[in-house]
Amino acid sequence: MRKIQWIITGLLVCLSTGFALAKDYDAHTFGVRGDGITVNTASIQYAIDYISGHGGGRLVFTVGTYRTGSIYLKSDVTLHIEPGATLMSTTNPFDFVKDKDVNWMAMIFAKHQTNVGITGKGVIDGRGFETANNMTNYIQRGVFADSLLWDRAREPNRPQNIYFRECKNVTIKDITLKDPAGWNQTYDQCVNILVDGIKVDAKSYWNNDGIDIVDCDSVVIRNSYFDAADDVICFKSHDATKICQNILVENCVGRSSANGLKFGTVSRGGFKNVVARNLTFFDTYRSAITFAAADGGTVENIVVDGVRAVNTGNAIYLRIADRWSKGKQPVMKDIIIKNVYVEIPAGKPDAGYPYEGPVEDLPRNISPSGIVGLPGHPIENVTLENIELVYPGGGDPFYAKVGLTPEELDGIPEMPQSYPEFSQFKELPAWGFYIRHADGIKFKNVILRAEKKDYRAAIVLDDVKNASFSEMKIEEPGKEKDDLKDKIFPYKSENISIK
Amino acid sequence: MFRIWILTVVVYFGFFPSSEAKDYNASLFGIKSDGITLNTGSIQKAVDFISEQGGGRLMFYVGRYLTGTVILKSNVTIHLEEGAVLVGVPVIYDYFHNGDFVSILYGENLENVSVTGKGVIMGNGNALLAAITEQVKNGYIQKATSSVAPGLIQLKDCKNVLLSGVILRSSLGEAIRLDKNTGITMKGITIENAGLPGAGLLLAGNSSLVVADSYFHTSGKEIIYAGKNQDVRIENTKNSTGRKLK
Repeated sequence: MRKIQWIITGLLVCLSTGFALAKDYDAHTFGVRGDGITVNTASIQYAIDYISGHGGGRLVFTVGTYRTGSIYLKSDVTLHIEPGATLMSTTNPFDFVKDKDVNWMAMIFAKHQTNVGITGKGVIDGRGFETANNMTNYIQRGVFADSLLWDRAREPNRPQNIYFRECKNVTIKDITLKDPAGWNQTYDQCVNILVDGIKVDAKSYWNNDGIDIVDCDSVVIRNSYFDAADDVICFKSHDATKICQNILVENCVGRSSANGLKFGTVSRGGFKNVVARNLTFFDTYRSAITFAAADGGTVENIVVDGVRAVNTGNAIYLRIADRWSKGKQPVMKDIIIKNVYVEIPAGKPDAGYPYEGPVEDLPRNISPSGIVGLPGHPIENVTLENIELVYPGGGDPFYAKVGLTPEELDGIPEMPQSYPEFSQFKELPAWGFYIRHADGIKFKNVILRAEKKDYRAAIVLDDVKNASFSEMKIEEPGKEKDDLKDKIFPYKSENISIK
Repeated sequence: MFRIWILTVVVYFGFFPSSEAKDYNASLFGIKSDGITLNTGSIQKAVDFISEQGGGRLMFYVGRYLTGTVILKSNVTIHLEEGAVLVGVPVIYDYFHNGDFVSILYGENLENVSVTGKGVIMGNGNALLAAITEQVKNGYIQKATSSVAPGLIQLKDCKNVLLSGVILRSSLGEAIRLDKNTGITMKGITIENAGLPGAGLLLAGNSSLVVADSYFHTSGKEIIYAGKNQDVRIENTKNSTGRKLK
């Protein structure tokens, strides 16, 4: 763990010294207009190119609404958006470039640039609902080619607010990012990223994530607030030869109709050396904390310390799957999750949210947390310490039932090729934790509380080796015996210690 | 006999390429006629799309269509119906293309390019001049103002060009600039550019050019010849004093 702390300290030092003071250019001096009507794409682009070619500096947007299509940020240029200023999409899909290298549309691109930033307390507004619907309209008319997956334009054909690819020294500070047409902000194969004090308000259309970090090295995300239709803080690995590593996430608050802190789903290379601490999630439909090694990637050396999630559909879901591995062996190991408090509601946590998460995998009673590997690919060395999970309980066997007989337990499918999601197995035989194909599981001071009697066991272990449960507390009203050993059910498992 | 047949085919397909091609209305691409919406992206999409579909006419009906530079493509006709006005946006960087300032309609290395109809292309020349002057003053444009001035139609290295019927107004640069093109027909063109410095027509290194039945009213020169032009015929074309142009 000391190694991780050392890496993080180094990271912070690198990031804080990355920027020298540079000249400020008022956007108006380039003829850019904040009248809400003028489409400024060409003038903003000229300004960026000019500043980059003249020693760098900040392009400053003062109070006003500045409409634009796609622009490319260049080295040593920071877009500084002052309070009261909004950089706003035109809502016309044809004002946006589908970049040939990254095969995606975005409002602000940067590719192969160094020292780039977007700062200031202003707003970037993608007007995504209108842009996406305009795009759908053109697709239906046959003017734009797209196969319309689930009656929506495919994700690369809906502009993101920000897409940076292979950039070095990226600073995203203070801004508010609103309503993209798809993903919100993606940093792909970048090095040295600081995201500090941003606000995300992105509930305009499907796939509105809070932030996506793909195959990046040295990333700090902190002091930020996210309200997103899809995953809030999301790390991905698209390239099997790359990895997302040396990551610090701290002091963030999020609300989501998908997941809170998510690593995956696309996980070809993997995730390494991660510290996530002091995070709060609320009204979140899926998991507060979830890691996936679904596509042959390696997930290792992870510390999650300090998560509070209320009205959140699931606490923790760790999953190895085998979707697009192409023979690569998935690995998930050395994970510490500690100081976590989660309240799981009986109802739908994101009810009433625009773009509510879809109700899936029914019938099932409230799903437990999960640590689920695959046969031959166990999840290894996971420690859970100082955890309190509050469940509604009340699982109704007449609605859905998977009991503890060998037939029922063996009947739970492995689903290696399915999308990894806490609810994917439908009904499970546990209300607190379902752990399958794992080796080296340590629970210490874990409190599981069901508010009503549940027909299921609190914890079910299936094909688990070397697990210890100490200082555990499992509370469930109405159970005849109050014996811990009666609440933790090992099956086909070895060396299980329950104290 | 065989040679005549070949010639007939060449003449037919060579000189009337778009006569049987499809018409596409501007509204199909969300192009707006309100004079406020900047249509550059949508018009460009339309031109690209029509070219990819094998060619045709992009039809503009009555209205004002604000735009910056649109890059023309082979086999695409910009057709402006009577009352349709393609209005140049008075923002200089909307004409910045590959490091240069170019015209509203710009084409390079194309075949079968046409601008037809009885509509108007207007350049907003005075407002553009003010914008350029400001940018030069701010130090963001280092070139001389005259070399930055966008015109209305600019074609380079194109084959088989037809410009017919349209009215060209308020151009800051040359209303039409033709460099090294082959096979150009201009007929019934009206250029009304008094009060602005832009010439009517700049010709540089073209071959096989006919200008017929056209009218030039300019403060600058009506026609500038630069470089060697071969086989140029100016027929029944006058300026505002009634002088036949040559």
